[in-house]
Amino acid sequence: MRSAHASTVAVLAFALAFTGCRGGGERKGEVSGNKIRIGVITSLTGSTAAFGQAHKNGYAIALDELNSRGGLLGKAVELDYYDDQSRPDQAVQGVSKLVDQDHVPIILGAYSSENTRAIVPAVTQKQVPLLMPTATADNVMQSGSSWTFRICAGSGAYANTTVSFLKDMGAPKKIAIIYENTNFGQSNAQAMLEAAKQAGIEVVDSEAYQASSPDYKTLLQRVKAKNPPVIYFASYLLDASTLMRQAEQVGLNPAYYTSAGTGFAAAEFPTPDKGAGRNAEYTFSVSQWLPSAKWKGSKEFDDKYLQRTGSHPAYHAMEAYITLLAAAEAIKKANSTDPQAIRDALRQLDMPETAFGAIRFDSTGQNKHPVLITQVQGGQYKVVWPVDAAESKPIIPTPPWNRR
Amino acid sequence: MMGARVDHFFSAVQAILNGLLTGSLYALIGMGMALIFGVMRIVNFAHGAFLMVGMYATYVLFQRTGLNPYFGFIVAAIQLFLLGYLFYWGLLKRIQGQSDFMQILLTLGFGLILTDGTQLLFGADYHQINLVLLGKNLHLGRQISLNAPWLISFGIALALGALLYFFVMHTMLGRAARAIAQNPYAAPLMGINVHRVQAFSFGIGAAAAGVAGGLLLPVFYLYPTVGDQFTLKAFVMVVLGGMGSIQGAAMAGLVLGVVENLTSLYWGNEWALAVDFVLFLLVLSLRPSGIFGSQRV
Repeated sequence: MRSAHASTVAVLAFALAFTGCRGGGERKGEVSGNKIRIGVITSLTGSTAAFGQAHKNGYAIALDELNSRGGLLGKAVELDYYDDQSRPDQAVQGVSKLVDQDHVPIILGAYSSENTRAIVPAVTQKQVPLLMPTATADNVMQSGSSWTFRICAGSGAYANTTVSFLKDMGAPKKIAIIYENTNFGQSNAQAMLEAAKQAGIEVVDSEAYQASSPDYKTLLQRVKAKNPPVIYFASYLLDASTLMRQAEQVGLNPAYYTSAGTGFAAAEFPTPDKGAGRNAEYTFSVSQWLPSAKWKGSKEFDDKYLQRTGSHPAYHAMEAYITLLAAAEAIKKANSTDPQAIRDALRQLDMPETAFGAIRFDSTGQNKHPVLITQVQGGQYKVVWPVDAAESKPIIPTPPWNRR
Repeated sequence: MMGARVDHFFSAVQAILNGLLTGSLYALIGMGMALIFGVMRIVNFAHGAFLMVGMYATYVLFQRTGLNPYFGFIVAAIQLFLLGYLFYWGLLKRIQGQSDFMQILLTLGFGLILTDGTQLLFGADYHQINLVLLGKNLHLGRQISLNAPWLISFGIALALGALLYFFVMHTMLGRAARAIAQNPYAAPLMGINVHRVQAFSFGIGAAAAGVAGGLLLPVFYLYPTVGDQFTLKAFVMVVLGGMGSIQGAAMAGLVLGVVENLTSLYWGNEWALAVDFVLFLLVLSLRPSGIFGSQRV
């Protein structure tokens, strides 16, 4: 009996430790002393930590710029990070912590579509604006919430751009979709299903997978049996690398490897140490930004990032950078740290020239952002489409593995 | 028409072979868990963390000395044995006699410490290694191809699994472990030093997880929480194999590997994990003694 009692106590202690029961005041937008704290939720640990780290570097560069220009409303800016451990339940905890306890007036984040969708109801209920840097699943913007804003282009734009590119290249008749089975992958697969249908491209296979698996050979074998000329991937980084390595093992040879960015557009992906290495060669990806982008400030950001981390940034870092600058601009315009005033300022926000192009939110909170197509050529991402932005010609068809 | 049927046949053969290759690593993980479960009656929630530590140990050796993981796993095994052995003497033994629940919580806590400790030391970032071997495939005819690193790990896992089986069935220590599993109260009366045997078994169980980690390294990537998914899988194998039977767990590992791959082939990859747990529930409710009979350890 005594031990049963002890176990109950232990379980309760555990439950408390996990839920982190803490009291919290109701005041919002409180400015602690002479600082303005901005809440950030991202994945600093867990399976998508590579992207969370890219976020963190992007935010840090923007923060340096802001504070070296004298901060905001005469106060220094401080970032209040919450690590969601790549888990949606933790991201939701993050909203409670940042709003109830730290009283931040605005939240930036999360990294993934899955975690971002999870926090939309929480920020709406707590009436704090949420600025999304990287969640591409279009459903994160379809909740009807008036508190959500998104910097990046979404899954619909990804699929449509990819289909336009394919049509321009000679319109292959068939496509197979391979996607990770959380919100990001599902939304992008769905968007491609619709875009392909509209363009008269037959979807011959659609394969969902668990992103943590060490083995996709059987899945790839299934796709190979359908012999599609085009494959469209929606993958994170670790799975993208494993998929491309095993595509060689299985001898999967489509004319086009295309993808919804993310893993296939990460700075690490074409490198041998942290990605697919030579197996990344010839893969196409949508992209939202590259260091070579024509927008003013792109080069400067690239330099600063390189100096800070020793490697070039991908668009995820840029989107974090711009997200913080846009939040700062809104706070400045609102001339207040009241969440509602900041939201209203975001609606009116007009930043015509940033390193990420123009930033303006439409009535749904979406920023219109163009999407490019890149291809890995010689271990580098090169813009290959649309033609007026292209640095290089697309290499088609992808050479089979045994003739590379 | 005939050609299509032949293709179907070869796809199934290929999926089964892939399943056996993956399953052999599952089997090692499951055998370690089953050994611990057999002699101690506890589910080791640190099992995935042990696997992860094995991966990091092999990784660090490879990075610092260039030692190939297919030799490095031996060092990882020794380290993991010591870790498990010391964990038993230092912590687990102290709460022996208290409820099993306390012991399970202790393994859970220890697993968290290992995971977070690794994160402190190495950061949350992921790592991978690139062996030239990864691009090598063995082709059997035109239809079947087997990837070299998976084949090697299959061979090693098979040999070690057989060794572990021999240890349990034919050595004094193994017999003692089986005696404890059969009757923990009678065993000490027969002159068996229960703590020594349990500590040793815990060490061996941890080492098996560590070896599996080392063998997974060349074909996978590592980050601090990479082991989590394997704890659950190991538990599924222990149940399928008959609650503590190590040969049962080994068979269960191979079965899981094959079933996952066939599921992936016929229904799609996203169902592969679901099938594990469907099997788990079916066995628990219809045949609680496991698929392969009821002998323990």
